[in-house]
Amino acid sequence: MADEEHNGKKQGFKLMGILDIQSTACAREALLHGAGGSLVAGLLHFLATSRVKRSFDIGFAGFFLTTLGSWCYCRYNNAVLRVQQRVIQEGIKNKVMYEGTSIDPTRKPKADEKSS
Amino acid sequence: MAHPSQLGLQDAASPVMEELLHFHDHALMIVLLISTLVLYIIVSMVSTKLTNKYILDSQEIEIVWTILPAVILILIALPSLRILYLMDEINDPHLTIKAMGHQWYWSYEYTDYEDLGFDSYMVPTQDLVPGQFRLLETDHRMVVPMESPIRVLVSAEDVLHSWAVPALGVKMDAVPGRLNQTAFIVSRPGVFYGQCSEICGANHSFMPIVVEAVPLVHFENWSSLMLEDA
Repeated sequence: MADEEHNGKKQGFKLMGILDIQSTACAREALLHGAGGSLVAGLLHFLATSRVKRSFDIGFAGFFLTTLGSWCYCRYNNAVLRVQQRVIQEGIKNKVMYEGTSIDPTRKPKADEKSS
Repeated sequence: MAHPSQLGLQDAASPVMEELLHFHDHALMIVLLISTLVLYIIVSMVSTKLTNKYILDSQEIEIVWTILPAVILILIALPSLRILYLMDEINDPHLTIKAMGHQWYWSYEYTDYEDLGFDSYMVPTQDLVPGQFRLLETDHRMVVPMESPIRVLVSAEDVLHSWAVPALGVKMDAVPGRLNQTAFIVSRPGVFYGQCSEICGANHSFMPIVVEAVPLVHFENWSSLMLEDA
């Protein structure tokens, strides 16, 4: 059964053989942002100073900081969404269970209940 | 269960394990970035022709390599502490099961409503039928209802054992004379395998754990059948 699943979908690219980029949320975006940040930082520094080696160092620093920042920002938003999704799922499950009963939170109190 | 040559964690079957998987990805990305940085610095140091024997201090780099690690540690600590407290939340369990470790098998007791108890021995390799997993299958599985909070009280009758099911994100030491508690919710139906995780003698590797999560109706049928057989 596991073999059939592996044949069906493409082998994902694993960064350093461990982190599956395609199936890990935010990984691809973070690395692409990092690559872009690295190019921009390195290029700008080189254009300003014409120092090749130092520009490589700045480029790498740009990659590190951009990847880290993009990853943390995306993962935080992802975590917030996951919590919201769980709350909504619980709400849907409870709505199905409680609908029509006296403990349904969406139930509007009837007129005679209001007066008493 | 794990597939052959698997390096990473198993797919999550409980909300806590899902969170642990996400945290693992987060920590792994940070570790990979730091490793890349160290590799770059090593290559840079080894390949440079510049030498200066009289560098005594540099305030800028000192500030960078103090502030940046502190920030990275905070970025790791915050989600870690969140999961730590999430795992300790009080959840009103629907069912309590006692898992007792013996040399070399587990026994399970469902004593909430009726007195149901059974032993769970590993199926020997020669007795396996095609499709079963070697060293992982047991003669009786611990059946639990899915989507219900389950409390497991873990202890041992003789020596130290440990009750662990990786897919559920659960591991708890079985200490003789002590009752340890763990809880989980199984999000989806399935069969989840684990193995004893504390060295306990010659057959430590041959006392697996199998948890089978089924809908509540099937759990009720199973428990009725088990009580009749007992």
